[in-house]
Amino acid sequence: MERKPDWLRVPYNPTEVAEVSALLSDAKLNTVCKEANCPNLGECYSKRTATFMIMGRDCTRNCRFCNVTPGRPGPLDPEEPMHVAEVVKKLGLKHAVITQVTRDDLPDGGAAHMADTVRAIRSLNPDVTIEVLISDLQGSVEALETVLSARPDVMNHNVEMVEELYDTIRPQAIYQRSLGVLRNSKRIAPDILTKTGFMVGLGETEEQLDRLMDDIRATDCDILTISQYLQPTHEHTKLMRYVTPEEFEAYKEKALAKGFRFVASAPLVRSSYRAAEAFTEITHK
Amino acid sequence: MKSELTMPKLRPDMQQGVVVAWLKQPGEPFQKGDAIYEVESDKVVNQIEAERQGKLCRQLVEEGDAVLVGDPVAEVE
Repeated sequence: MERKPDWLRVPYNPTEVAEVSALLSDAKLNTVCKEANCPNLGECYSKRTATFMIMGRDCTRNCRFCNVTPGRPGPLDPEEPMHVAEVVKKLGLKHAVITQVTRDDLPDGGAAHMADTVRAIRSLNPDVTIEVLISDLQGSVEALETVLSARPDVMNHNVEMVEELYDTIRPQAIYQRSLGVLRNSKRIAPDILTKTGFMVGLGETEEQLDRLMDDIRATDCDILTISQYLQPTHEHTKLMRYVTPEEFEAYKEKALAKGFRFVASAPLVRSSYRAAEAFTEITHK
Repeated sequence: MKSELTMPKLRPDMQQGVVVAWLKQPGEPFQKGDAIYEVESDKVVNQIEAERQGKLCRQLVEEGDAVLVGDPVAEVE
């Protein structure tokens, strides 16, 4: 196995991880931390934070970079929104991030279930801020309106990578459709922060990255995350290179110069990693 | 009292882990939260932290060894 660079070292405390794992398992909840084999699981669980992944463990898409299991998902669990709300309370979260598997099998892509989850969290935890990390909902404006009607504080949808890599790595997604989710969200609910993220190290060029940032910024997106692609298994898209922390810093400077209000750019940044800090910083500026 | 440190299950589908480096040597004391050794998973290198203070008595595996989840990696007291 190729030696990993020094900046890919993370702390892991077995006891603290086990505590949060047990709590989530008792509530029959999934996290993207676990399903996506997230490198920050140890750190986040130790801080008693997690990103909930609702609507099942099986995803109707099969993106080559992602560790979430592709398959045919089962019916939605109507009790799930309240279970999530209860665990948010047990963990004492100040900022809850809720994501989903892509549910192309549902007419609304799961939008109503996501909205129910936001409302359930808010009913039990009125002071918690809520970030949703949604699929492209197949470009449905109506479904997006349903999600936004629950008034999440942050609407996140990841564009994931430069346009040129969609066909091979993200074949069931459409670049312009993902940009449309961000654009439409701002149009429908201008006061809800929009957020997106992409990975580097997949073989993209600097020119492609520059264009990607411009395209995202043109949607009036507020928050951007830039992270290192890490290959989940040898069957996934091949990692082309490790981008250095200095290069991530340069990307951050470039993105801020383009007008993003908050940028998190580092090898182990993930879409929801330290999302609470990002939210606090941007709302207190 | 002597006890063993065992290979943790870092990820749900993990069967074994490779100890890539020892950060504490035999006879060396450690505090709760100190990193004792490193285990490589698919994406990153995990620094396994001590759950309580103690002393490393013996390393039971060498750097580069693959260890099954739950199998001992070190003797501590």
